Amino acid sequence: MSLPKMTRLLSRRPLVSIQQQQLPPSTLVPGRTLIQSEYRRPGKPRDNEPPWQKIKFDLSKGLEGVKKHFTLLKNELTGRWVGPEGKPIIEHMLEQNRVVWEFRGPESLQQWTLSSDREIGGQSEIYMELGRNSTTCLLYGTLCSTPPRDGETRYSGYCTARSKQPLASFDRKKHHDWSSFNCLHLRIRGDGRPWMVNIATETYFSHQKDDIYNYFMYTRGGPYWQDVKASGIIPFSKFFLTHRGRIQDDQHPLWLDKINTIGFTLGDNADGPFQLEIDFIGVCKDYAHTEEFAYEKYKRNPEV
Amino acid sequence: MNPYVLSILLMGLGLGTTVTFASSHWLLAWMGLEMNTLAILPLMAQHHHPRAVEAATKYFLIQSAAAATILFASSTNAWLSGQWDIQHITHPLPTVMITIALSLKLGLAPLHAWLPEVVQGLDLTTGLVLSTWQKLAPFALLLQISPEIPLLITSLGLISMLAGGWGGLNHTQLRKVLAYSSVAHLGWMMVVMQFSTSLTALALLMYVIMTTSAFLTFKLLKSTDMNSLAMSWAKTPSVTALAPMMLLSLGGLPPLSGFLPKWLIIQELTKQELGLVATVAALSALLSLFFYLRVCYCLTFTSSPNNLAGVAPWRLESKQISLPLATSTSLSILLLPISPAILSLTLPLF
Repeated sequence: MSLPKMTRLLSRRPLVSIQQQQLPPSTLVPGRTLIQSEYRRPGKPRDNEPPWQKIKFDLSKGLEGVKKHFTLLKNELTGRWVGPEGKPIIEHMLEQNRVVWEFRGPESLQQWTLSSDREIGGQSEIYMELGRNSTTCLLYGTLCSTPPRDGETRYSGYCTARSKQPLASFDRKKHHDWSSFNCLHLRIRGDGRPWMVNIATETYFSHQKDDIYNYFMYTRGGPYWQDVKASGIIPFSKFFLTHRGRIQDDQHPLWLDKINTIGFTLGDNADGPFQLEIDFIGVCKDYAHTEEFAYEKYKRNPEV
Repeated sequence: MNPYVLSILLMGLGLGTTVTFASSHWLLAWMGLEMNTLAILPLMAQHHHPRAVEAATKYFLIQSAAAATILFASSTNAWLSGQWDIQHITHPLPTVMITIALSLKLGLAPLHAWLPEVVQGLDLTTGLVLSTWQKLAPFALLLQISPEIPLLITSLGLISMLAGGWGGLNHTQLRKVLAYSSVAHLGWMMVVMQFSTSLTALALLMYVIMTTSAFLTFKLLKSTDMNSLAMSWAKTPSVTALAPMMLLSLGGLPPLSGFLPKWLIIQELTKQELGLVATVAALSALLSLFFYLRVCYCLTFTSSPNNLAGVAPWRLESKQISLPLATSTSLSILLLPISPAILSLTLPLF
């Protein structure tokens, strides 16, 4: 029995002509491998451009960036002579209230990132706009707790707004230092929905990346602004530690010297539109509040 | 913490330093340093707060890197000279490597970046152990090495003094301030090491006394930042009266004890015709003095009827044993008049 003939795998054309063949660009690099390393938000079109084609050389923008970063660096160095965080020590000591975020112009909205369960395929929406007279920020949208039809998600329906990480010169991470204060002061006007305030601190290990301190903020609706004890002023001692939404057994008090971001989340399982108007977010020192941490740790394996 | 575990860890700490003190072989000295590192790690992470665990991890990584470098340098010395004796390390390469490794262990600039973050993550007692006890063993080794390259030692010392002074200027967290103060004091110790090891030992001794006093004071006042110091007059007026003296002693002002090592070091540097080094050292002490004065200001010049910076504390009776604080504060304020006696005690020893 004779062996079957092996078909020739290579063409008879010489090597040189193979190199001269012009292959169409779409077959050179498959589109999927380019974007597998980066997260693509649902709704955004797939980006098949290779990274070297995305660089935009623009002299004026470059000069602006150089000016901005060197100015920030200069302020950091000269602020050091004045005192901590660029303020004299007497001001630091006497400070009882500090407004950290207030919404007075469109640039203040750039400090916030919005997100909802649309990222996992849900149908909630959240938008942020400046309120009337550009003095407040309005968070509004629709909550929809229909889970996405991916076969594995059972619950859904959340909307969140989170502040961006403050950056020093040359895009280095900076932290908020709220160690002189002990309460979070929010002036808000809601529609009766319960929100959750999330504070993220600086962490070290990669598994602590999603460690967030949470507490509830109950809005009361109505035309009046709310910044009273019950819901507008939240002591930092009340915040409890969660990781990816799960409350941890091992609770620790919130350390205020390295705060990265603050956020608001709505996930109250009530479908429909929502609105939250925020006048300012500040921190204050309540002299009467002496509690250090509101939660006790119970023994996880008690002796029986 | 379980008292048995605590006693084992403290014994481990003591044993590690003692082994390093008593050793003449590099491997035994390295073993003592490793015991110290490993024994303090559970003490650092005992509260399991994320920042404490972060501090313990950073400390472990830094100390392990330094210990590995020491091992490598001593092995290189054994290969080049054929012996492991600590005092006979003569080849410049292992000497420089060991000096740099021990500087990393101590937190000397430019290898000091880990110290403020680590001390900030710890409670005050463990911070005290880190700033005082953990410095003894590496210094014991540094004092025995003959300085092959004087420029290295002097530069480490000067840079530490400047970095410690400059870096501590703008902090309001007391633990970070004490960490930078530690860096500055270590600089003073290094700069005179090649001329007089006994002065280094004296400076180390005075530093340990003053830092112990500082940490115990802040522990009694239960304050970790400058604002909470403002209420100290209501908690313990006597400590509030003495603590500025102790802080100015850390700053090196006469007629307090802290002036003694600085005066003798400047005198020795001038005798060795290093007037410029002495001048830079004296000027850098001003930087440190500024932040000590700032802490004094927060402690004492903020009484009523001004607005108080701190929140009213619970008036609980402190369970802290007062003897160590009383002894260390007295020693850090009153030792200058008996400086001849101190010199006669320390000079022959080293």
